Amino acid sequence: MAFDAIFQPIEIGKLTIRNRVVSTAHAEVHATDGGMTTERYVRYYEEKAKGGCGLCICGGSSVVSIDSPQGWWSSVNLATDRIIPHFQNLADAVHKHGGKIMIQITHMGRRSRWDGFDWTTLLSPSGIREPVHRSTCKTIEEEEIWRIIGDFAQAARRAKEGGLDGVELSAVHQHLIDQFWSPRVNKREDQWGGSFENRMRFGMEVLKAVRAEVGDDFAVGMRICGDEFHPDGLSHDDMKQIAAYYDATGQVDFFGVVGSGCDTHNTLANVIPNMSYPPEPFLHLAAGIKEMVSVPVIHAQNIKDPNQAQRILEGGYVDLVGMTRAQIADPHLIAKIKMGQVDQIKQCVGANYCIDRQYQGLDVLCIQNAATSREYMGLPHIIEKSEGLKRKVVVVGGGPGGMEAARVAAERGHDVTLFEAAEALGGQITIAAQAPQRDQIAGITRWYQLELARLNVDLRLGTRADEATLLDLRPDIVVLATGGQPFLSQVPAWGYSDDAAESLVVSTWDVLSGRVAPGKNVLIFDAICEFSGVSAADYLADKGAKVEIVTDDIKPGAAVGGTTFPTYYRSLYEKEVIMTSDLALHKVYREGGSLVAVLENEYTGALEERVVDQVVVENGVRPDEALYYALKSQSRNRGQVDLEALYAIQPQPCLSEEGDGFLLFRLGDCTAPRNTHAAIYDALRICKDF
Amino acid sequence: MLETLLPILIFAALGLAVIGAWRRIRLWRQGRPSVVPLFKGLAALPRRYLVDLHHVVGRDKVISNTHVATAGGFVAAAVLMILVHGLDLAQGILGWLLLAASACMFVGSLFVARRRRHPPARLSRGPWMRLPKSLMAFSLGVFLITLPTVGLLPSDAGHWLLALLLAAVVAWGLAEMVVGMTWGGPMKHAFAGALHLAFHRRAERFGEGNRSTGLKALDLENEAAPLGVEKPADFTWNQLLGFDACVQCGRCEAVCPAFAAGQPLNPKKLIQDMVVGLAGGSDAAYAGSPYPGKPVGEHHGSPHGPIVGRGGKALVDADTLWSCTTCRACVEECPMMIEHVDAIVDMRRFLTLERGETPNKAPEVLDNLIATDNPGGFAPGSRMNWAADLNLPLMSDLQQVDVLLWLGDGAFDMRNQRTLRALVKVLRAAEVDFAVLGHEERDSGDVARRLGDEATFQSLAKRNIATLDKYRFQQIVTCDPHSFHVLGNEYGELGGVYDVRHHSTYIAELHDAGRLAFSPWKGGSVTYHDPCYLGRYNGEYEAPRRVLEALGIELNEMQRSGFRSRCCGGGGGAPITDIPGERRIPDMRMDDVKESGAALVAVGCPQCTAMLEGVVDATAEVRDIAELVADALVVRPAAQAASLSRQPQLEEVS
Repeated sequence: MAFDAIFQPIEIGKLTIRNRVVSTAHAEVHATDGGMTTERYVRYYEEKAKGGCGLCICGGSSVVSIDSPQGWWSSVNLATDRIIPHFQNLADAVHKHGGKIMIQITHMGRRSRWDGFDWTTLLSPSGIREPVHRSTCKTIEEEEIWRIIGDFAQAARRAKEGGLDGVELSAVHQHLIDQFWSPRVNKREDQWGGSFENRMRFGMEVLKAVRAEVGDDFAVGMRICGDEFHPDGLSHDDMKQIAAYYDATGQVDFFGVVGSGCDTHNTLANVIPNMSYPPEPFLHLAAGIKEMVSVPVIHAQNIKDPNQAQRILEGGYVDLVGMTRAQIADPHLIAKIKMGQVDQIKQCVGANYCIDRQYQGLDVLCIQNAATSREYMGLPHIIEKSEGLKRKVVVVGGGPGGMEAARVAAERGHDVTLFEAAEALGGQITIAAQAPQRDQIAGITRWYQLELARLNVDLRLGTRADEATLLDLRPDIVVLATGGQPFLSQVPAWGYSDDAAESLVVSTWDVLSGRVAPGKNVLIFDAICEFSGVSAADYLADKGAKVEIVTDDIKPGAAVGGTTFPTYYRSLYEKEVIMTSDLALHKVYREGGSLVAVLENEYTGALEERVVDQVVVENGVRPDEALYYALKSQSRNRGQVDLEALYAIQPQPCLSEEGDGFLLFRLGDCTAPRNTHAAIYDALRICKDF
Repeated sequence: MLETLLPILIFAALGLAVIGAWRRIRLWRQGRPSVVPLFKGLAALPRRYLVDLHHVVGRDKVISNTHVATAGGFVAAAVLMILVHGLDLAQGILGWLLLAASACMFVGSLFVARRRRHPPARLSRGPWMRLPKSLMAFSLGVFLITLPTVGLLPSDAGHWLLALLLAAVVAWGLAEMVVGMTWGGPMKHAFAGALHLAFHRRAERFGEGNRSTGLKALDLENEAAPLGVEKPADFTWNQLLGFDACVQCGRCEAVCPAFAAGQPLNPKKLIQDMVVGLAGGSDAAYAGSPYPGKPVGEHHGSPHGPIVGRGGKALVDADTLWSCTTCRACVEECPMMIEHVDAIVDMRRFLTLERGETPNKAPEVLDNLIATDNPGGFAPGSRMNWAADLNLPLMSDLQQVDVLLWLGDGAFDMRNQRTLRALVKVLRAAEVDFAVLGHEERDSGDVARRLGDEATFQSLAKRNIATLDKYRFQQIVTCDPHSFHVLGNEYGELGGVYDVRHHSTYIAELHDAGRLAFSPWKGGSVTYHDPCYLGRYNGEYEAPRRVLEALGIELNEMQRSGFRSRCCGGGGGAPITDIPGERRIPDMRMDDVKESGAALVAVGCPQCTAMLEGVVDATAEVRDIAELVADALVVRPAAQAASLSRQPQLEEVS
């Protein structure tokens, strides 16, 4: 049987997990009001359980102590008994669907911020500063150590009393337990530092206290790192020794293994591998730990599709696979495998929109699934067929917003036609996928292609829709998602012209799409600092160009998230791309066979020049509004969206009003340039009530 | 002159017929013994003929009436003819009755003739084409020779030449109708057919509402008993008699799914091949549709020669036997009550047990069954994986329950697991006291038995019976009609007698008892596919329809439904032996569904679900009845409160 390895139940301690798929601990950034789990939090996990997930470990970095600040990432607060009734709701919601739920508990030590909320003093074994959060801390005292050990035990008790199935002690990501483990951070000479046993002591005392508090019939596991990837940090062999040491107590019910430490920007990128990584890049580290221990081992990191999960489990590398982002993209992953609908699974593409928002303290959302973590608002993962009229819906534009609009309208049971001027679906995703290491972003389009075919959407590719064509179809609803064009005409001195032969600058789209051949000596001016600029730099350098990327912002790629800019930088530095900040493109002129780019220092106004053969400008998108204004006055609703209804996830009132003619909605970049998620979210919340 | 000729002709014919009968009986007696109560059987004959047989024949009114007129007329005419013309007892009313009987027969024979003008493909040609003429010759001849007897014509009417001519016509009629009956003409069906009814090997199938569909067990203890049928003489004598009764009407051919799919099987030809085998010779004289892809005239056999050749050709090729889905459509339609499926499995038993020649994937499946007690070869310990989150009560814990839920090997199949989960949800909603055997359950043995591996079947069956005997329960409920059939109809012979119900039957009962409430159906049009092992094997056509009606569904019935339902192609190990044809059986069934216009086909069998869902570009969705019921459940508040305290109601995305 295909996927049988996934559907083998497994015992963790005295708990039976129905299959081998785990949603591993991650910060949801949903717990509010002092760290209490919310309706949103409960519904987010309930959806995973309903979709068949075996085990959810919620609450990444949920705190056990008052001096491990909860507020920065709205994590769960287990330092108070107030949490217990909230846990009961959460446990009931997951158990109702046959799932199991545990929570990760931790004291983060120095890995936090002190400059807010209670203005706490962060703690660490030896008071050494943490670079990722720029956090300074005090050296922890003996009394504090024992208090925190007690806090762990009390937190575990609260989880148990709340009906959860277990706790995972975080000894990974350089939290307090592994701060004690790592000689990089632990320079103590008392009983808590120095020798192996001394460095292990804190974690061991935590484990013993927790186990004494909760007894044998409650799962207690540890999440550990497979290799810190620092010359002076814990190596894989060290971690094997540590795992075996704790396993020997017989008090650990499972181990979760994360390959890589994460107390620098560069190692952090390893922890949640983005699309530039190969599949399961750190499986070998987890398999190494599994060799040493006698209890089940869980491993996540870039396990995204069922075949991969089956292969890993069948090979016996680990006992359970974490498919965390995979279930953020599609919480019904398991149900779809069971129903033989593997090709309907919305597969995670590794864009890391989720985790990059989290590191900014924003709620975790999926770039391609706008319903995820909005279940509480009533946004559906499964679009119900409309019981109302069957309408003729025409969507213009085959980018993410248009594809989502067509999908949702078709799921509602309507007759849907989609126009796309290009020969293929995808819009800007197609362009983005041309950059080195970014090809997997096209997975978003691939899923829509399959879904639109399944739903029999009439696709008119290579067809630019005009007013007459649209009206000929006698639509009931027109959805415009026509996107826009690179905004190169903003500064006339850049010398942009619609005539390609005349224009002194080209866009990143021109370069990435292959419309313009790569130059040999290229200057990229990037006013936006998101993916497109660094992608174009990487692409050109990959084609052999000498590239300098210049911005007047903080740094090129500054708006690219924390788990993705490091992989760009690795590639750009290796290809000797020069990254220059604080310079704006002032003017471009031709001199002989070359172009001269005049750059102006943001802070001094000083001008400097570069002589190059190609100037690429990334200045964002200008909405394509022509069709909208051609149709606006003819439409029943004059193209207006009722914002109150939209934000309340209620049907647009005009949908239930009688009248002749068509309704007009526009979404995505043709309204205002935003991102993929914004386009898809607008499409879902407008079209779900068609 | 006729007065002299007729008794000679009549008694000569009767004499020849007796000799023929003796020879024919000798042919049947080549078969193995089978104990049947001879006199009781003969006594039951009229009722079996007039009620049971006519129940089948009566499905086609025209033919039924034709047969009543022709056969009834003939039997009466023949008896009266002996009295009137043979023994010269022409006084009074007998002559008039003979006149009426022969007239009746003549009218019947006109309809027979009409049918033979453009005969459907399923009817055999050859000697059968002359039968209407013979019937007319007999009836007309008898009519004419009786006219003088009753005084409608003067006794010396006509010339002696005319009398001679008339005598010749009567002689022709007698030769076909009386001599041919035992010497092998088309009328053989009357002689063999009548005796077959009397000495039928499944006497229990006769009578109102009775059916007998379980295969009979092989005696594995007796070392002298052959393992299955190698040669025609290995059949029991009354099986051979049954083959000889075949009237070549081809009703079996018309309903056979394998024949329709262009696989090398035609049940009629198979029976005729057995007739060739019991008498010895070649199939060259066969005048019906051949096995698809196999020309007639290349096969030959003898009573003690092998049916399936080793290497070269003999009477029947093995792929013919392995094409059968055991759907029983042929048996259901056969007016002569022939048991085709028994015969096929008998021959398969020999191929599997003695020769080890089960084709394609079948040896692997049998090996799996032997090693793991399930056909897929899954680790036995993974049988309950699908229910890891359901906390199903186990018989070993409870010992005694109302309902033992038999899971079947669908427990290993991801598709069927959805059906099982739906069924569990329904049972819980109705607060049924049920439990499962869990890891103690083994495959029922259905596939092993249909593939001819009686030893593995009996091994599984005996172990299952030993397990079931440990516990107390009112009834067994299962969503697998194959398990239903085997547990309900085939375990009895091995000592396991249980009250088994298909889940649709049980759900219908729960609904009738007010224990289930449904929200109204909101979906599109629905049709229902009758699984062979539920319908034809067990006669359950109503319960699934009642459940669907209770859901608020108005069925769009397929043309072939109920007892005429077309097989999905999944029975009898056919998907495993996988004999190539020109089409796939499930594709044809999905075409039937399409023709009904239904957007959803409700089924009640894991095998049917798998086969129908395997159809590419199907126009209809396939859902088990349990799933439809589970989706429509309205959980009553009281039940909800009670079930929450005990067991969570599992809701899943589906």
